[in-house]
Amino acid sequence: MSRKRKISLSEDELVLALRNHEKIAIEALYDMYSSSLFGVISRIVIDTATAEDVLQETFVKIWHSFSSYSTEKGRLFTWMVNIARNLAIDKIRSKDFKNQNKNQELENNVTSIDEQINTIYKPELLGIKDLVQTLKPEQKSILDLVYFKGYTHVEAAEELGIPLGTIKTRLRMAIQELRKHFN
Amino acid sequence: METGILELYVLGDITPQEKLQVEEMAAKHPLIKAELEEIELSMELYAQENAIEPAEALRNRVLGSILTNFGDDSTFTTTASEEKNNVITLPAAKPNSFYKYAFAACLALLIASGIAIMGLYNKLQDSYSQIATLQNNNQHFANQVNFKEGELEVLRDSSFKFLKLQGTQHSPTSGLTLAWSPAKKKVWIDLRSLKMPLNDKGHQYQLWALVGGKPVDLGVFDKDQDSTDMKEMKSIASADAFAVTLEPRGGSASPTMDQMVVIGKF
Repeated sequence: MSRKRKISLSEDELVLALRNHEKIAIEALYDMYSSSLFGVISRIVIDTATAEDVLQETFVKIWHSFSSYSTEKGRLFTWMVNIARNLAIDKIRSKDFKNQNKNQELENNVTSIDEQINTIYKPELLGIKDLVQTLKPEQKSILDLVYFKGYTHVEAAEELGIPLGTIKTRLRMAIQELRKHFN
Repeated sequence: METGILELYVLGDITPQEKLQVEEMAAKHPLIKAELEEIELSMELYAQENAIEPAEALRNRVLGSILTNFGDDSTFTTTASEEKNNVITLPAAKPNSFYKYAFAACLALLIASGIAIMGLYNKLQDSYSQIATLQNNNQHFANQVNFKEGELEVLRDSSFKFLKLQGTQHSPTSGLTLAWSPAKKKVWIDLRSLKMPLNDKGHQYQLWALVGGKPVDLGVFDKDQDSTDMKEMKSIASADAFAVTLEPRGGSASPTMDQMVVIGKF
């Protein structure tokens, strides 16, 4: 809130500026998308400091491999969220991260366990409340597993003990609900 | 569309093959493309609803890490595909084969050098033996020259008297030329002009000087094919006559008179 002014560009302008490697492009990209990407990363990587590292890696990777993005393949955010999700999953599966978790001290565990079971009060998540009501719980759990946790629909089917066809149907229904909601 | 593949495409939960299929379909059919965009937008908005504002300090950190090397070309030109190419084109075997070839070349050079040194060594040995032969020859010639000098001295020296010893009745064809310098007490005999039968291995000729009727030993000599030079005998200051007898090898204390081959008097 104390930030002076967030830079915002249209998606076309942003893509063009990124392609030309203009300084303003990466600033605008951060201001427009950092919170959405951080939301995804934070649901995969619980530890805030590590999640911040992943966010940094995500922007660095977006900046360096931007030439592999093309507008014909879809929206910019879809491309970016895939990068963020993959980096986050790589991070929690990496050896360093696993060792680090084993060596966590007791007092750190108190907060991280709190975070894991979502008892912490996060004011920025308040806006979701009305959305929760538009999605049925079984739709939301599947959508969040795949979209936020990076599960494949096959893994989600195993995790929830639901047939693959049902998973696909519920995913599709969930997204259609979302479309209705946002329209 | 009904299978939910477009949703899975947007969620990134799809195989590369299926991904290509969806992209091809979207390129062909505007309806599918529109549907895809609808789904993408919904998910983007859903993510916005679930957004978490990162700490303010993170903005400078992230932008700083990207913009630190803003003037550095490598910041901009590096792409994922280029990085891949770099990895693929690194030939790991190159240095290995270089050292292999270098080692082989060194070995070949070593062997070639060894052969060359052996050749040179043989030539050197040849040269040494040639030098030794030449030195021998040289020594031989020097000796001969010295000897001839000595012989010439005898001829030039006016103090030498020459005496032809004549064959005795025992051996009438024999003869020997003798040079004697009473002043220098030197006696030479000329083996080239020596006319005597060849002596066998058990015998030698012995030269005697007769001094006041008594024989004095002046040394022994051989008559053989090699006897071509002048030979200096034992010295004597005064003599009345000279004679040669055939004696057992090594000479005798007194002459065997019936074996006398030549005799001559001054």
